[in-house]
Amino acid sequence: MGRPQTVAELTQLLRDGGYLADRGLATALFVALSLDRPILVEGEVGVGKTEVAKALAAVFGRRLIRLQCYEGIDTNQALYEWDYARQMLQIRALSERQLDADDAVDKLFGPKFLLERPLLEAVRAGDRAVLLIDEIDRADDEFEAFLLELLSDFQITIPEIGTIKAETAPLVVLTSNRTRELHDALKRRCLYHWVGYPSPEREVEIVLVRVPAASEALTRKVVAAVNRLRDLELAKPPGVAETIDWVRTLDALGETDLDARTVDDTLGAVVKERDDLELVRANLDGIAPGA
Amino acid sequence: MPEAGPSSVADAAPQRAPFVEMLVAFGDQLRDAGLAVGSGDVITYTAAMVPLDPTDLVDLYWAGRATMVTRRDQIPVYDRVFRSFFLGEREDIPEPLRLSLHSAAETQSVLQVPATEPGAEGRDEQEVRLGLMASDAAVLRDKSFAACTTEELAALRRIMARMRLAPPRRRTRRTAAAREGRRPDPRRTVRETMRMHGEPSEIFWRRRRLRLRPLILILDVSGSMADYSRNLVQFAYSARRANTRVEAFCFGTRLTRVTRALERRRVDDALEQAAKAVFDWEGGTRIGASLETFLCDFGRRGVCRGGIVVICSDGLDRGDPQVLATAMERLSRLCHRVVWMNPHKGNNRDFQPSTVGMMVAAPHVDLLLSGHDLRSLEELAALLPELN
Repeated sequence: MGRPQTVAELTQLLRDGGYLADRGLATALFVALSLDRPILVEGEVGVGKTEVAKALAAVFGRRLIRLQCYEGIDTNQALYEWDYARQMLQIRALSERQLDADDAVDKLFGPKFLLERPLLEAVRAGDRAVLLIDEIDRADDEFEAFLLELLSDFQITIPEIGTIKAETAPLVVLTSNRTRELHDALKRRCLYHWVGYPSPEREVEIVLVRVPAASEALTRKVVAAVNRLRDLELAKPPGVAETIDWVRTLDALGETDLDARTVDDTLGAVVKERDDLELVRANLDGIAPGA
Repeated sequence: MPEAGPSSVADAAPQRAPFVEMLVAFGDQLRDAGLAVGSGDVITYTAAMVPLDPTDLVDLYWAGRATMVTRRDQIPVYDRVFRSFFLGEREDIPEPLRLSLHSAAETQSVLQVPATEPGAEGRDEQEVRLGLMASDAAVLRDKSFAACTTEELAALRRIMARMRLAPPRRRTRRTAAAREGRRPDPRRTVRETMRMHGEPSEIFWRRRRLRLRPLILILDVSGSMADYSRNLVQFAYSARRANTRVEAFCFGTRLTRVTRALERRRVDDALEQAAKAVFDWEGGTRIGASLETFLCDFGRRGVCRGGIVVICSDGLDRGDPQVLATAMERLSRLCHRVVWMNPHKGNNRDFQPSTVGMMVAAPHVDLLLSGHDLRSLEELAALLPELN
């Protein structure tokens, strides 16, 4: 599918794919697509940062290539790796058959023995892919340096082979939960967007899109309750993902109303810390009033 | 997409030069307001406006925010500059352009710069006012470090400069080539094998690397600690310079992150910045509430995970002890070790905490030290590497 021509068109496309983007996010994504720039999405936990990439891949019919970052991730897991076992066997075969070594050794470090990891895969796929570099803040800061060449030029340099450049730029989405500051060099190569909590009306809309079976009246009550929870200064305030989980939970239990009892029974879907549970249980009537 | 590159901006420039000039001027204003906006960012902004509607304020706002803002805390500044530049007080926008700026009708969204983003700036003022109401002892004034005598500063600096803080190390998941280790290093082994014409060489190894744990300093700068504050900020500064993985916070009635202020290169600049950042200099103390803020705003995001937290305070808390107890318990679960420096401990080895705050916090503290002079700070520097 071609690129959208206007922000409104992109918003509509995403909406059709089940993702409601507000004007700010849609504009940022539109600019990222138009300028072929990576986009860094930061925000509270559970506001749909990862979902953006999934939705983009779905609506444009592109392949989603996901790199989940973790501490200690390095080039072997993110960019490429040589297939050492096959190289060893090849060396053995060569020495037994006494082949002409010059050419054979060159081949040892050729594409045949190269294992693709997500970043190399994305460079090769070009604009047929959406590359999601998830939770970049979880990787240690050394890893950010590996990404710089990719993010600015969409190319990867492998010493033994040379530089592999993407023919067309993939759409790159990076997400971060801000457990640490990212390096400025990385940020400079990306567009930046901060995703906050949606307004209650929008959150109701989002839940209804994701859980079509839910009744609107119940959803409104749940969203109102979640917003009150966010005001309680919890250690882990619930995100939109938790709201969706909560509505699903209530739906699965066949509940049609949200009162103090049902909140108490299903609290585990939204509040996931013991101190928070105690705080919420002490304020149950304030969370689901009018029951 | 080449047509959206900088070159096309140049092509578009002849017809749209005043517009480009306006965007550049906006970038300048942002730079004046303290945002690190490079020429490259302005070019990206201009390029971003090509496929968008340049007369639509909403597009102008969001495209600029996506291209020139790189951190959440810059958003309020961006909003302020945007408001003053595009929405009003500015006189020198060319008249025809000003008339053609409108909010496009085809989108339902409304540009609510002031309404949706009250921003940290406004909130700060509000919090300060609330803080004043909450504690009558809170004094809102900028305490300047310039009051420090020159000889004092020079002596401190000489000693602090020699102090190298080395937090304990932990093994990371990242590996490095090593003479011996537990994981084979196939890359080096294959390379070596080829150098030996295919003869299997010795096996090379990798081992997990060691890495310094992060150090988080939470410093009390309230009235009861004022005598020590200057030393403490100096200490925070030298720790920050010696090791990049240091976060520093100051608190009195409320918590302020001073890590960024301490990044300034010159000592005096850093101290001046820190003094500006801490509004409630020498006000009352609310340790519990400040620690709670720390946990909610920073701890939750993992700032102190696996780290060493050093709290410098006398434990004279005006808040609810239960709040402090809960906060300390959560803090001790989140970080690796908690060190508490209490100047009232002095050189007394059998020091028993007498303030309620100290007694409540004590069960969650791994190491209690004094912080009353430079010698005790050196003691901390010496004990730090052993806290594993």
